[in-house]
Amino acid sequence: MTASLFNRFGTRRALLVGCLVFAALVVAGCSSGQAAYTIRPGFFWDSLFKPDSAIINGLGLTVGISVIAQLIGVVLGVFAAMGRMAKFLPFRIVANFYIWVFRGTPLLVQLSFFFYGLATAGLFKWPTVVAGPIDILPEVLAGIVILGVNEGAYMAEIVRAGILAVDPGQTEAAKSLGMTYGQTMSRIVLPQAARVIIPPLGNEFNNMLKTTSLLSALSIFELYNTFSVAAGHSYATFELFAACAVWYLLLTTIWGVVQSRIEKKFSRGTTTNTSSGAGPRNKGFAARFMSLRAPIEQ
Amino acid sequence: MTTISNDLLGAIGGVPRPETDVVVDARDVNKYFGRLHVLKDVCVQVKRQETVVIIGPSGSGKTTFIRCVNHLEKIQSGRIFVNGHLIGYRETDGSKKLVEDKEKNIATQRQEIGMVFQRFNLFPHMTALENIIEAPIHVRGVSHDEAMVMGRALLERVGLAAKENVFPNQLSGGQQQRIAIARALAMKPALMLFDEPTSALDPEMIGEVLEVMKELAREGMTMIVVSHEMGFAREVANRVIMMDEGVVVEEGTPDQVFSAPTQDRTKTFLSKIL
Repeated sequence: MTASLFNRFGTRRALLVGCLVFAALVVAGCSSGQAAYTIRPGFFWDSLFKPDSAIINGLGLTVGISVIAQLIGVVLGVFAAMGRMAKFLPFRIVANFYIWVFRGTPLLVQLSFFFYGLATAGLFKWPTVVAGPIDILPEVLAGIVILGVNEGAYMAEIVRAGILAVDPGQTEAAKSLGMTYGQTMSRIVLPQAARVIIPPLGNEFNNMLKTTSLLSALSIFELYNTFSVAAGHSYATFELFAACAVWYLLLTTIWGVVQSRIEKKFSRGTTTNTSSGAGPRNKGFAARFMSLRAPIEQ
Repeated sequence: MTTISNDLLGAIGGVPRPETDVVVDARDVNKYFGRLHVLKDVCVQVKRQETVVIIGPSGSGKTTFIRCVNHLEKIQSGRIFVNGHLIGYRETDGSKKLVEDKEKNIATQRQEIGMVFQRFNLFPHMTALENIIEAPIHVRGVSHDEAMVMGRALLERVGLAAKENVFPNQLSGGQQQRIAIARALAMKPALMLFDEPTSALDPEMIGEVLEVMKELAREGMTMIVVSHEMGFAREVANRVIMMDEGVVVEEGTPDQVFSAPTQDRTKTFLSKIL
């Protein structure tokens, strides 16, 4: 149903329909006498258009943690991918073990174990890190690191697929020019693998933005936890979680635009006509968003 | 089309340094792919400024052999020397066993050996000029400005001065192969290996690539060429080597091999190809 709405009307109209549905729900909620719950739209609109400092803080934490954790994930992913493809057996064992463990257990369990578990057993307490003007609290530090390490295990497979997609002739050409393994990787193979890696990497970051909501388990007041607590206080559960969803939607939408820009940049040398930059990968975000939903005609 | 003076070649260092008289010395090289014995006691010597063309049916091991010369393939026994240096391996003192050399040392050895591939293998994310200056800057440590000057001279030399900012996928096969030759020359190699450089080209583009190679041979570059271009071999080669089933069957001047082959296998092969 939603899919067909997107086909027929396009993004803007889909958004419009979404707003109308929400308004209808609000009206329905207000008018149905039997419901004990009274919808107070003010909570919804205020938290979107007049966000208080708690929401702004939560937004900052969600975005900040996502970016840093994703960066850690990419770096770890590159190393783990190279480890998996290494000639040296111990590298392969370590990389495979890492990927096996972190892809095979739930993130929530990893968060609980490495934060509460280690501390309770007296094995490791996460420190407070002073980074310039801000203090990074132990739970935030743990959240960033565990999210990053978890992400690295997923990135490893993506990076590996990207590296394998590069023509082996490229490695041979680089080697025969006297490049070392490191130079061949960093100058020749990884830049080409990036083209293959970046679309799924974008999806990973989209996921990351939403997955940070699990950090509420560590009492981090990121976006979700902020709204959750506010909902607990005001009992405006419906309005506030709806607003929370809109905030996440805003973040992922902005990221979608950024992602398509990045993809365009990395498609260097792949299109036959650089001036127009045609080709499916170079379409604007809107065009790609639409084509995602477009029916296959004929 | 591609007339370049020897002065320019000298200026950009394309002339091989007179170090030893024998540039390539392969002795009793044996190579297996699993159980398949692809090179059987191959002995090949190439002297400085010599152009050697290796011919033979497909699967005869000619491509494998030149890939062994810059250690893109391992060998199981024998020795390959380039400019007096054992390629890819170290000899352990006591035993006569070969131990593969450190990756870094192999990389250093490869700097002296240019290679041109059948499928060009240009770096698609770099322009023509960037392809050429990549290795001089990052491997040889040449300054960017110096590399640009040299790169432009090389582009001029292969007749593609106008294409310096063009990406490989916007160039024809012949143009890509000429850029690939320029890229290899930018490292000022003592030896150039050509692995069927015209086999992936449309017929009308073969000429322009062969022209660049002829020019190179005339200027005194030491070259090993695996090729089916008998015209090129006749005109340019100092020596022709016929390989079949991993064995050097016959070896001689182009006249000897093409006009009066002594081996039956050479006769059969030539009768099919000429």
